[in-house]
Amino acid sequence: MPDVELPLASGGATILSQRLTNHRGAVVLFWSGMCAHCARYDEYLNTFEQRHPEIALLAIAARHTETLQQIRLTVADRGLTFPIAHCADGRAAAGWQAPQTPRAYLVDRHRMLRYRGAIDNYKYRNDAAYAEYLEPAIDDFLHGRPIVRAETPSFGCAIDSIYYALPRVTR
Amino acid sequence: MQFALHQTQRAVQLAAGVEAVPLTSAPVQRPADVDRSTSEFFNRLTRAALYAPVDGGGVPAIATTALDSARTMVAATAADPLRLAILPVELPLSVATLGAQEMLRVLYGWQILGSRAPEFIREISEVFLDGPVYLQLEYLKQLRRMQAQVRAVPGDGAAWLELGRYSMKCGMYHQAAAAFTTAAGFSLLRAEALYQRSVANYRSAEYADALRDAVESLALNPDQPRAAYWSWLAAGELGGYPADVPKARRIEMASGCGDTDLRYESVSAQIGLDKTGEGRGLAVFDYDGDGRLDVMVSAAGGCSLFHNNGDGTFTDVSVGSGLDTCVSSFAVAIGDYDGDGKPDVFVTRQGFLEGASVLYRNNGDGTFTDVTAAAGLTGWISTFAASWADYNCDGALDLFVGANLNGLFGRKVGDRLFRNNGDGTFTDVAERAGIVTPWPTIGAAWGDYDNDGFPDLFLSSSFGRSQLFHNNGDGTFTNVSRQAGIDSPCFGSVTFWCDYDGDGYLDLVQYVWCRHEDMLQSLRDGVGPADRALRIYHNNGNGTFTNVNRDLGVTECWGSMSGNAADLNNDGYFDLVLGNGGPQVVRGEPPVILQFDGRRFRNVTFTAGMPRFGKSHGAVIADLTGDGRPHILLGSGGFYPAEPMPVEVYRPIVRLGNYLNVRLVGTKSNRDAIGARLRITAGGRTQHHLVSGGSGFGCLPFEQHIGVGAATTIEALEIDWPSRTRQRIASPPINATIRNTEGEESIAVVRRG
Repeated sequence: MPDVELPLASGGATILSQRLTNHRGAVVLFWSGMCAHCARYDEYLNTFEQRHPEIALLAIAARHTETLQQIRLTVADRGLTFPIAHCADGRAAAGWQAPQTPRAYLVDRHRMLRYRGAIDNYKYRNDAAYAEYLEPAIDDFLHGRPIVRAETPSFGCAIDSIYYALPRVTR
Repeated sequence: MQFALHQTQRAVQLAAGVEAVPLTSAPVQRPADVDRSTSEFFNRLTRAALYAPVDGGGVPAIATTALDSARTMVAATAADPLRLAILPVELPLSVATLGAQEMLRVLYGWQILGSRAPEFIREISEVFLDGPVYLQLEYLKQLRRMQAQVRAVPGDGAAWLELGRYSMKCGMYHQAAAAFTTAAGFSLLRAEALYQRSVANYRSAEYADALRDAVESLALNPDQPRAAYWSWLAAGELGGYPADVPKARRIEMASGCGDTDLRYESVSAQIGLDKTGEGRGLAVFDYDGDGRLDVMVSAAGGCSLFHNNGDGTFTDVSVGSGLDTCVSSFAVAIGDYDGDGKPDVFVTRQGFLEGASVLYRNNGDGTFTDVTAAAGLTGWISTFAASWADYNCDGALDLFVGANLNGLFGRKVGDRLFRNNGDGTFTDVAERAGIVTPWPTIGAAWGDYDNDGFPDLFLSSSFGRSQLFHNNGDGTFTNVSRQAGIDSPCFGSVTFWCDYDGDGYLDLVQYVWCRHEDMLQSLRDGVGPADRALRIYHNNGNGTFTNVNRDLGVTECWGSMSGNAADLNNDGYFDLVLGNGGPQVVRGEPPVILQFDGRRFRNVTFTAGMPRFGKSHGAVIADLTGDGRPHILLGSGGFYPAEPMPVEVYRPIVRLGNYLNVRLVGTKSNRDAIGARLRITAGGRTQHHLVSGGSGFGCLPFEQHIGVGAATTIEALEIDWPSRTRQRIASPPINATIRNTEGEESIAVVRRG
């Protein structure tokens, strides 16, 4: 997968390949502060690196027209602690073929794709039909096993849409 | 009056030399003309009132919005001196036409629903006003605004209730439950807050809590059919009502328990079609020509394409297909418009809000190219329905695109009839052809009701009178709605032609979207209000139709958004599948199966093993495995971010009866044989089938599935091609899938069951 070098919402910049030098792999998550689907995963993402110290996490705020200022407000508002980079020109999403948020990619140290898709099936944990997608893939990856389900369909808010360019409808 | 005002406005425009042209792209800078400006003005004003702060800042906020909108309106015309000059005359006329249109809608709402109309209109208005807010992802901003309001006025129980409702719309069910808990502390709001909390708890799979809340809410106010419904749903998830729920609070449903030999199992996860999304349209077609039926699902976040692996499973091949980036997609209509043997895809956008529909040319290698502009199909209209047909019988597929309502104060713009020029381009000939209606079009279906060889067009209106256009055979149509007897007002939805009684004349089925309480009454009692059920118009064979739904046992009302007809149990009669639901988060309802035995329909939904809950858009029936078991596929999901749902697939556990699947390949006729009529004689009965070019959210496969019951042989299959060629195939095989090419005597057996 292509490398990315992007500014971080917390300040400074990040380069994916550099983050990978001291990790076995990384989860790159296309994300948006305006996406209600992403908001469901705030706690999961805040605690991700504690649970997976060997896996780097990088959320890329990629939604067309979302500004760094807006992202910073969201981070403060929702108490987000995971690293969020900002891609203003949509190049990262295009390069990684990400049409919506949230969409997760698990890559190894060499940025080889190991898993692509949704975090889970968007049901609640106590639902009988609840199924995790990303976690089993990480588990398989860390244990050197073939990933059973290496791709799942993701869904969510469009990263780019003509509707985002229309005049705002509320004040 | 509306017509007169509109004509006056057009006359003023013409006198000033101002052309009224349809929008071809999104008005990114400002509304394109005065009509759109006035619509936007009232939309924004109403939205400002809806979202106004409760702490006294409401009036200034509304006033500022009004000022802003007025400024935008003038700006929309300022660039054109002619428009600016006629603005003082055009503006009042524009407001008057809009007012007349809204008045008509209210009157029709009243005519259909009587005194319950205001409540219904209020609910629908909220959804319409929310539409752009959620489309532009401004909902979290609204949520923060509500949070600020409850912080400012913590003693305002209604604000807590609203905060809970907003949180639910965003899918934040735990936060919603917390807000409802606070609201429930206010005695006047307790029953409502507990009911809403039961919904939030159900949605987050806290079924015991959901049941407890619903039961407590009913104890406070027993007259709450919605709370009763959610208690029934929660009890279902818990395996029945626990012993501590008083008998008086337990709900049983009379609907859906008819006798049937149909039994379905849910297999979407098993076969790889369980993609979560805000499912909308669904189409089954063979995109790669390998002889197997593939599946396409449209959704807010982009379309999905699933390849049929031939072993009963599917692989998601969306990424890179070119379809995955088609966001905010709605209905899907499949048609090989360029006759290259590769089915192409037309996708409508948004349905109830303006958007740009897309035509994708199938490249034959698993990818699709957006050819909308090159084909001359660009437009920015609110469209739900699209349907292919060769209306002028020249062998090339033409396309109808219906214009729906554009938001609460949106105006009906012209429907589009795109004539295929035969060179990959289309020309909109709707007005010239006489396809003009003031009513919003939500469903469209082509069918030759008078057997004159030319497909006619029925338009189902979402709010008003439905319309039937007779094809004169010379490129023009005549509106025959009134004399045909199909234009009484209703909240129509999808529609299709189907010769349910096998008399050789196409009958018309129009699904209807009913209010929430009418659906709940139907579910509980097995009978709903008489005039709000789906309509089955029997073709009298003389250009007139009679609604015979009650005679055929259709007594219930549903919020049908999609569906179609197919012989589910291979007994030789069409059954109906209804995909139901509504945009509101508190509204879900089961998909419904109405099984027909030749005399009456009966609701067999739950007996057949279908679920209690759903929100089904593209409901399609297709024999995915080619072994005589028509699967039911549902593109499920809601309008709000709260309701992403997986695609649902229900497969018959066993095959019932014998069958024949027929695939047609046109040569003189259009390649997909859309519009072809099939006559099958078996077991002493003759059935009639029509190859449809799409009729709403769901696009059936072109393959015709024909059940023949206990018959072990088929006497003959006769085909009337759109080119007027007639073919007769004697003794086709039974329990098989065959292919016939127009003009060829022989058939190919694709598969034996």
